[in-house]
Amino acid sequence: MAQDEQAAVLIPVQQKAGLGMTALDDFTPLVQSHQRRIYRVLLGMVRDPDAAQNLTQECFLKAYQRRASFRGEANVGVWLLKIAVNLARDHRRSRLREFWLRFSSSSEEVEDLGQRLPDPHASQERVLVGREEVASVWSVVEKLSPQQREVFILRFVEEMSLEEIAAATSLKVGTVKTHLFRAVHAMRQRLKGGRSSE
Amino acid sequence: MNNHLSEDQIAEWVLGTRDDFASRHLETCRACSVEVKELRSTISCFRDSIHAAAERDDSYWRKRQHAITEHASARDWYPLHWAWVAAMVMVLVAALFLTRTPSPLQNKATEDADKVLLQEVQGDLAREVPEALAPAVLIAEERNEILTNKEQTKSTLKKGVK
Repeated sequence: MAQDEQAAVLIPVQQKAGLGMTALDDFTPLVQSHQRRIYRVLLGMVRDPDAAQNLTQECFLKAYQRRASFRGEANVGVWLLKIAVNLARDHRRSRLREFWLRFSSSSEEVEDLGQRLPDPHASQERVLVGREEVASVWSVVEKLSPQQREVFILRFVEEMSLEEIAAATSLKVGTVKTHLFRAVHAMRQRLKGGRSSE
Repeated sequence: MNNHLSEDQIAEWVLGTRDDFASRHLETCRACSVEVKELRSTISCFRDSIHAAAERDDSYWRKRQHAITEHASARDWYPLHWAWVAAMVMVLVAALFLTRTPSPLQNKATEDADKVLLQEVQGDLAREVPEALAPAVLIAEERNEILTNKEQTKSTLKKGVK
């Protein structure tokens, strides 16, 4: 986990009263240090920038409301990710919302996300090959089951340990590993398929 | 016989689990090492694309942070806000009940009812006998009349005999 994300902590309510702190005193730095990561994870899961932005805000507001239940035992980053994962699951269940989002003109399409490459100065050929590769990886990730996608993003995008992923997704470590194996197999099959069709 | 790494061994390697057998095999087997390399490259490509897609400038994050903390502090006031609204509603309802003035029509009806009641009370007070005992008085009067008639009849008969 990144250094700045470790630095921001949520002080338990009981201790805070003794320190003469208000509820927002430690919350603001928490938002500052974790919002990028929460947004990134949610963007990977819901694949819609507008929805990811709204869910990121909702994640922090939920965390703020439930701050009394945070006892400081677990990593605050994992605790926030757990809230984010649950919000992403709720969002997925809301079919009506998805229906309306398809008609929302401001929403960035999944294909557009796949077109984004980190290096804008790469050669034209590299950009084209890279875009194809990214688009095909996105298509494979999209075909994964929701739980496989969750653990795949947390492991390979956020580089979290299996234990942290298990805590964030409320799954057992063994189940997390199984989902990851299946996701990697699916990715491998796609690569094999790509090679044979060339 | 297949001498290459199994699917699970490749997955383990990609997930970061290192074992001597897989390590030695990848050093010597070009097919497996290419496969692992491609798989890792594909995954890192996916990671980079998400990082790139989620990249925003600092002003965007400052705005989002401001919006979140503003909403959070607003939610702090929600319980107090609703308590205040509930108290105001109760005060208004109490004030309505206390300051409610009866209409002129209601006033007249009340006055009429009062007059009737007063007349009834006065009538009751003017009675010699309470209203409840009126039947008993009638019976007593009838009895007295009968007795008087009997006595008169007896005296008339006595006079006749004499």
